[in-house]
Amino acid sequence: MSSALIADITAPSVNYYMLAPILIVLGGAVLSVLVEAFYPRESRRSAQIALVLTTLVVAFLAVLNIKVDAILGFTIVNSLAIDGVSVFLQGLIILSALVGALLISENRIDPLGDAFAAQSSALPGSEDELAFTERGWYQTEIWSLFLFSVGGMLIFPIANDLLTLFVALEVMSLPLYLLVGMARRRRLLSQEAALKYFVLGAFSSAFMLYGSALVYGFANSVELGDIAKALSASAANSNLMLVGGIFILIGLLFKVGAAPFHQWTPDVYQGAPTAITAFMSAGTKVAAFGALLRVFYVALSGLAWDLSAVLWAIAIITMLVGTIIGVAQSDIKRMLAYSSIAHAGFLLLGVIAQSKAALDGSLFYLAGYAFTSLGAFAVVSLVRDASGEANHLGQWAGLGKRSPVIASVFTLFLLALAGIPLTSGFVGKFAVFAAAYEKGLAPLVVVAVIASAIAGFFYVRVIVLMFFTDASGDEVSVVVPSFATAAAITITAVVTIVLGVIPQPVFDLLSNALFLK
Amino acid sequence: MTAYAWLLVALPLAGAAVLLLGGKRTNAWGHLLGTAMSLGSFGVGVATLIEMLAKTAEERETIIHLWDWIVVGTFHVPVALQLDQLSISFVLLITGVGSLIHIYSIGYMAHDENRRKFFAYLNLFIAAMLVLVLANNYMLLYVGWEGVGLASYLLIGFWIHKPSAATAAKKAFVVNRVGDVGLSLAVMLMFTAFGTVTFGEVNAAAESASTQTATWIGLALLLAACGKSAQFPLQSWLLDAMEGPTPVSALIHAATMVTAGVYLIARSHAIYDIAPIAQTAVIVIGGITLIMGAIIGTAKDDIKKGLAGSTMSQIGYMILGVGLGPVGYVFALFHLITHGFFKAGMFLGAGSVMHGMHDDVNMRHYGNLRTAMKITYATFGMGFLAIIGIPPFAGFWSKDEIIRAAFSHSPLTGIVTLIGAGITAFYMTRMMAMTFFGTARWQDDVHPHESPKSMTIPMMILSIGSAFGGMLLLFVANIESWLEPVVGFEHAHGGPDSSVLIPVTLTIVAIGAMMGWVQYAKREVPLLAPTDVSIFTKAARADLYGDTFNEAVFMRPGQYLTRSLVYVDNKVVDGVVNGTAGLVGVVAAQLRRTQTGFVRSYALVMVLGVVVIGAIAAIVGMA
Amino acid sequence: MELNNFILLSAILFSIGAVGVLVRRNAIVVFMSVEMMLNAANLAFVTFAKANGSIDGQVIAFFVMVVAAAEVVVGLSIIVSIFRTRRTASIDEASLLKF
Repeated sequence: MSSALIADITAPSVNYYMLAPILIVLGGAVLSVLVEAFYPRESRRSAQIALVLTTLVVAFLAVLNIKVDAILGFTIVNSLAIDGVSVFLQGLIILSALVGALLISENRIDPLGDAFAAQSSALPGSEDELAFTERGWYQTEIWSLFLFSVGGMLIFPIANDLLTLFVALEVMSLPLYLLVGMARRRRLLSQEAALKYFVLGAFSSAFMLYGSALVYGFANSVELGDIAKALSASAANSNLMLVGGIFILIGLLFKVGAAPFHQWTPDVYQGAPTAITAFMSAGTKVAAFGALLRVFYVALSGLAWDLSAVLWAIAIITMLVGTIIGVAQSDIKRMLAYSSIAHAGFLLLGVIAQSKAALDGSLFYLAGYAFTSLGAFAVVSLVRDASGEANHLGQWAGLGKRSPVIASVFTLFLLALAGIPLTSGFVGKFAVFAAAYEKGLAPLVVVAVIASAIAGFFYVRVIVLMFFTDASGDEVSVVVPSFATAAAITITAVVTIVLGVIPQPVFDLLSNALFLK
Repeated sequence: MTAYAWLLVALPLAGAAVLLLGGKRTNAWGHLLGTAMSLGSFGVGVATLIEMLAKTAEERETIIHLWDWIVVGTFHVPVALQLDQLSISFVLLITGVGSLIHIYSIGYMAHDENRRKFFAYLNLFIAAMLVLVLANNYMLLYVGWEGVGLASYLLIGFWIHKPSAATAAKKAFVVNRVGDVGLSLAVMLMFTAFGTVTFGEVNAAAESASTQTATWIGLALLLAACGKSAQFPLQSWLLDAMEGPTPVSALIHAATMVTAGVYLIARSHAIYDIAPIAQTAVIVIGGITLIMGAIIGTAKDDIKKGLAGSTMSQIGYMILGVGLGPVGYVFALFHLITHGFFKAGMFLGAGSVMHGMHDDVNMRHYGNLRTAMKITYATFGMGFLAIIGIPPFAGFWSKDEIIRAAFSHSPLTGIVTLIGAGITAFYMTRMMAMTFFGTARWQDDVHPHESPKSMTIPMMILSIGSAFGGMLLLFVANIESWLEPVVGFEHAHGGPDSSVLIPVTLTIVAIGAMMGWVQYAKREVPLLAPTDVSIFTKAARADLYGDTFNEAVFMRPGQYLTRSLVYVDNKVVDGVVNGTAGLVGVVAAQLRRTQTGFVRSYALVMVLGVVVIGAIAAIVGMA
Repeated sequence: MELNNFILLSAILFSIGAVGVLVRRNAIVVFMSVEMMLNAANLAFVTFAKANGSIDGQVIAFFVMVVAAAEVVVGLSIIVSIFRTRRTASIDEASLLKF
C-alpha cells in the first residue's frame, strides 16, 4: 500500500445531532450489557425495562429534534443520509420498538413468567430449567439484544453506502436470530425457527454482500449516489452491475419477505415468541422497506427499466403467494405471516412506481401496517389454553361470545389488514394503488385488487369464526394482561382508527419527505 | 343551520359512544339520552329543511366540506356532506321514524336488561344511515353502508342467547358481504373510468362515458342494492332477520336500511340513464322480487315474517320504479317514503300485538283482537288501507304512480305490478282478518291488553302519516318538482290513461281483498296450519325455496370442495363462505405443500428464484 | 497477474458455498459454506480495490471479517443449543414448522 494513500485519510466530520437517535439507542444497549453484568438479579428485570423505555423515549426526542430543526444532510463521509424519509422511518421504528418493548415486558399472561425461557442455555424440560423457572428467574439479556436490534433498524434505512447497509443489516438481524429462539414454551419450534431464520438470513446476506462487491467493481464506489452517477455515465448495459444489483435486491427482498424469498416468514413468525414476532413484523418490515426504497430510488433508478420485468414478476408472485397460501392456513400466527407476505407484495407496487405519491403512499402504508400488525400479534398472545398460546384457528371459535372486547379489537385489526374503509389499512392501500395506477401500472393494480379480495376472505373467515361459530369446547381463555400489553393494544387500535379517519396530518408530515441523492 | 349539518350525524354518534363507553353507569338514563339524540338530529333536519325551502330549486344543493380524507396525487376523497332535496327527504324519514321508534322502544324494551345497549345500537344505526344518505361520494357512502350493516347485524343478533337469532345474524352478515363486493367493484370501476368517486363528478362524467362502462358499473351497483335491499337472489336474509326485536324490524328492516338500495340506484341515475341493459336488469330484479315477496307473504303464519315478505315485495316496487328511468325515480322515492310510514306503523302494531300476546307471533293464535286492542287495531288498519292502495291513503298515490309509469314502459311490467297489487291486497287482508277479526283463538294463559302510551303514541303518529302522508307529499309538498332537480323527472307517456287505470287497479285490489276476507274472516281458521295443501302453498311457506336455492348453488359445491381439501381443517372451514373461495382453497392446499419445512429446500427455492430472475433480466436486457 | 482470474476464483468460491448450503445436511457445514460465500465476496472486494486503485474495497474486507466473526458467534450458539436439545446437528431434522 502506498504511503500517499494513507496520508490522504482525514478524520471524517461527524454531526452528532444527526447521529443522536442511533447513538442513544446503541449507547443504551451498551449500558444494558453493563446492567446485565453488574446489577443484582432480583431487580435486574425492572432496571432493564426502565433503561430500555427511557432510551427509546430519549431517542424519539432526538428524532424530533432533527425534524424540528431540519438538520438534514449526509454525515460520516456520506455513509448515512439524514433526510425527510429517514426522520419519518426512524420515528416510526422507535415508536414500533416502544410498543414492542411493552409487549416483551409482559409477564402476567403466562403463570410461569414472561414469554422467554428462564435460561435459554438450559435444556428444555430438564431439571435445570425447572429449577430456574421455579426460582422465578428471567432471561434479561433479551433487552440488550432488543436494543442492539433497534439500533440496526435505525441505521438500515438511512445507510447511504452498501457497506453500512450490510453492517446495519447484520446488527439488526443477529440479535433477532437469538431472540427468535428463546421462547419459554414450545422451545423446539422456537429453536427451529431461529435456525431457519439464521441459515437463510446468512445465506441471503451473503448474496447481498457479493452483489455489493460486484457493484463496487462496476462503480468503483459503494456510495449510493456514486452508483447512480456511474450508471447514468455508462452507455452500455453492464452485466456486472445488473447481476450485482439483482443480488443486492435479493438481500433486501429477503428481509421484506417477498416471494420467492419469503419461505422463512411463516416458520419464523410461528416459532418465535409472539412478542418478538410482533416486533419483527413491524420493525424489520419498516426498516427493510425503507432500505429497499432508498436503494431503489437513489442508486438503482438507472436500472429501473432492466429490473422492471423482474420486479413486476416478484410483486405479482408475492401478492398471490401471500394471499392464496394464506387461505389454507389453520394457525393464526402463520396466517398473519402470510398476510405480512401479501402486504410486502402490495408495498412493492410503491417501490416499482417510483414517484413522490408512491413514496408517500408506501411510507404511510408502513406506518399503518406496523401498528396494526403489532396490535394483532399482541391480541394473539392473549388467547391461551393450559399449554400456552392457543394458536389453532379452531380454538378461536366463539371467542366473540366469551370476550367480546378482545374479539372486537382483533376484528378491527383484521379489517385494517383487509383494507376496509375507516382503518389505516384502507388509506395506505388506496394511496399506494392510486399512485401505482397513475404511473401506468394498471395490470399490477388489478392483481393487487384481486389479491386483496382473496385476502379479505381469510380475514373475514376469522371474524366469522369468532362471532358466529360455537366454541369447540377446548379450554381456551383470554387472559387479562398487565398494564403494558393493555396499553400496547390500546395504542395500536387507536392509531389504526385515527390513521384511517384523519390520515391527512401524516400525509402533510410526508409532504417534504424526499430522499437525499 | 345548514353549516351545522354535521350535527345530524354527530348527535346520534355521540349518543352511541356515551352509551357504549359509559357502561352500566348509564343504565338509568341511557334510553332517554338515546331518544334525545335522535330527536335532536330530527330537529336539526327540520331546521335545515326550512332553510332549504327558503332557497330557489337550483340553490338548494349544498356541499358541506368537513375534512380531506384521502389526498393522493390527483385523487381526492373528502369527508363532505351533500345536502339536497333527496338527502334531506331521507334525513327526515330516518330521524323522524327513527325517533318515533326510539320512543316506542322505551316501552317495548322496558324489561330487557340490555336496554341501554339496544339504544346504543339504535343510535349507531341512525348515525351510520345518515352517513350513507348524506355522503357526497361513493367512498363515504360505502362507510355508511358498512356501518348500517354492522348495526343491523348487532341488532338482529341482539338476543344472541337464542340460537335462531345468532344464525339469522350470521346469515345477514354473509349475504350482505356478497352485496358489498358489488359496491366495492362499482367504486373501483368508477375510479378507473372517471378518476373520481364524488356523486357530482361521476354524474357529470357519466354523460360522456361509454355504454359498456356504465353497464358494468350499473350491474355492480345493482348487486350491492340486491344485498342491502333483500332483492332476488339475495333476499333470503330478510325473513330470518325478523329474529331481532320488533322495533328493529320496523326501523331497519322495513323503513330505512333496506331501502338503501333504492337510494343508491336513484343517486347513480346518470349511470343508469345511459345503460339500458343495466336498467332492464333492475326492472327484472324488481319485478321478480315484487311477485316473490308477495307470494311468500300469503303463506306465512308468523305475523312478522308476513310483513317481511311484504317489505320485500314493496321494495321490489321501488326497485322496479327506479329501473324505469326518469319516469320512475320520483315515484319510487315517493313510495319509499310512504312505505316508511305505513310499514313502520304496521310493524309497531305487530309488536304491540305480540306485547299483548306473550310474544306469540303465530297469527293462528290471534283473532278478534279488535275488541281487546282498539288503538292497535285502528292504527294497523290505517297502514292496511295504505298498503293495499285504497284512496286517499298514502300507498294509493305512490303505488298508482308506479303502476302507471310501469305501463308506460311496457305492458308486461305494468301487468306484473298489477298482479302484485292484487296479491298484496289478498295477503294483507288475510293478516288483518286473522289478527283482528274472526273468532278469538287465544292460548289459555293469554290475556290480550292494549300497550302503554309510549308505544301507542308513535303508532298513532305513523298512522296519521299512513293516512295523509301521500296527499301531503303529492299535493302540498309537490314531490315531483321537489325531487326533479336531483334525479330528473319526465311525465309518463303511452300506456293506459289514469281514468282507466285507477278503476282497474282498484277492482283488482278489491278482488284480492275479497278473497282474503272470505277465506280468513268468514271461515274458521284452523289452529294448526293445514298440511294437505297444494305444492304452491308449500313452496311459498318454504320462502319459495330461497334457502334451498342458495344451498344448491353456493353451499353444496363449497362443501364438496371443502371435503376434498385434505389439509384444510374442517373445523376451520365455513361451508357457505368457503364455497365462493373453493377454487382458491384447492390451489392453496397444493401450494402450501411447497412450504416443506426443510430449510435446504427454502434455500433451493431462493437460488432458483435468483436464476429465474437473472434469466428474466437477461431476456429483457437482450430485447 | 490477470485480475479477471481472481474474480473468477471468487465466483467459483461463491458457487461452491451456495451449493454447499443446498446439499450438506450438517448445520455446521452449512454454516461454513455461508462463511465461504462471505469470503468469496471479500476476495472480490479486494480484487476490485486493486483493479480500480481505490482503498475502499480493502477496508470493506476488514469490516466484513468482523461481521462474519459476530455471525459465527450467533450461529454457533444457535446450532449448539439446538444440538443439545435434539442430539443432532442435521438441519433436515428441524422440520416441524411447515405447510
